[in-house]
Amino acid sequence: MNNKTVNRGKIILSVVSLTLGFILAFSFSVSQNRNQEVAVNSATFGQTESVRQELIEQKERNKELSEELRDVQETIREYEQQAGSNTSSLDELVKEAEALRLLTGEVSVKGEGYRVQLEDGEYDPDQVNPNDYIVHEGHVFMVINELKIAGAEAVSVNGKRIHETSYIRCTGPVITVDGETFPAPFIIEAIGNSSTLSEAVELSGGILDQLKGQQIRIQTEKVSELMMLSMHES
Amino acid sequence: MWLPLLGLILGISLGLMTDFQIPSAYENYLSIAVLAALDTLFGGIRAQLQQVYDDKVFVSGFFFNIALAAALAFLGVHLGVDLYLAAIFAFGVRLFQNIAVIRRILLTRWADKGLSSK
Repeated sequence: MNNKTVNRGKIILSVVSLTLGFILAFSFSVSQNRNQEVAVNSATFGQTESVRQELIEQKERNKELSEELRDVQETIREYEQQAGSNTSSLDELVKEAEALRLLTGEVSVKGEGYRVQLEDGEYDPDQVNPNDYIVHEGHVFMVINELKIAGAEAVSVNGKRIHETSYIRCTGPVITVDGETFPAPFIIEAIGNSSTLSEAVELSGGILDQLKGQQIRIQTEKVSELMMLSMHES
Repeated sequence: MWLPLLGLILGISLGLMTDFQIPSAYENYLSIAVLAALDTLFGGIRAQLQQVYDDKVFVSGFFFNIALAAALAFLGVHLGVDLYLAAIFAFGVRLFQNIAVIRRILLTRWADKGLSSK
């Protein structure tokens, strides 16, 4: 009888100590987790702050450098112009350099040109997928390619000059051109023979018809005087 | 003696292995439960030393105190009154008292032992 009571007491005590151990260990692990979270949070915060600071510094440095680059290029052009006026044999070379600079977007250009404006289609409640009627970066590519094939000397998208290392990326409802984000409508301007450019784009069965088939609203316009900034300024 | 110890080890390992998060609003309950459990444990030890230990009182006190403290904290959270402070206060005071009594009893025993062995 006595033995039985001792056993029962032991079992009860075991249950109690099990509960106690569980509670202690559980609250220990919970507070451990919380401490870790706090540590992680503060570490990430500091990191973000320092990275942001670095970014600001880099941007300022970038700005300084691009200004310096512009100054230097201005001087080079002056030198070349002087050289060109001195010797007629160099004249050709200077002209060639000038033409190449137009293509690479190193200098600002003025001249007749052509403008294409791409706009998202009307919102259509029947259309489930909005991708079917918004302008994608692919459409912009198509127009730029067509303009370049038709002999455009300089091309810009929403005022951003396109040069040989330009990139255009789809970033959701907007596109990114060389790190700058632009929403629709996208205005693509090209400098060159405006009638050639317009014929190339408006060719029946050509790019204009293709885009219209994809519910995109397009406006085109021949412009007698277009001003395009250099890649460093735009 | 080994059975309660095994229970304790099992409980600790269970608690360490349990890996679920509880909302921070309910962390008060946990702290109260810890206090209540410790309080009852030391109360039990004291009762044992004073030879008034009773299984039923000890076990019912252990679980009832934990439940009561959690209920009080729950009520406090929902009323916007920090009622769990009352529980922490009560348990804290009793914890210290119990430990003090245990210490005194042990000291007296040690002194008696020293006298008798002389």
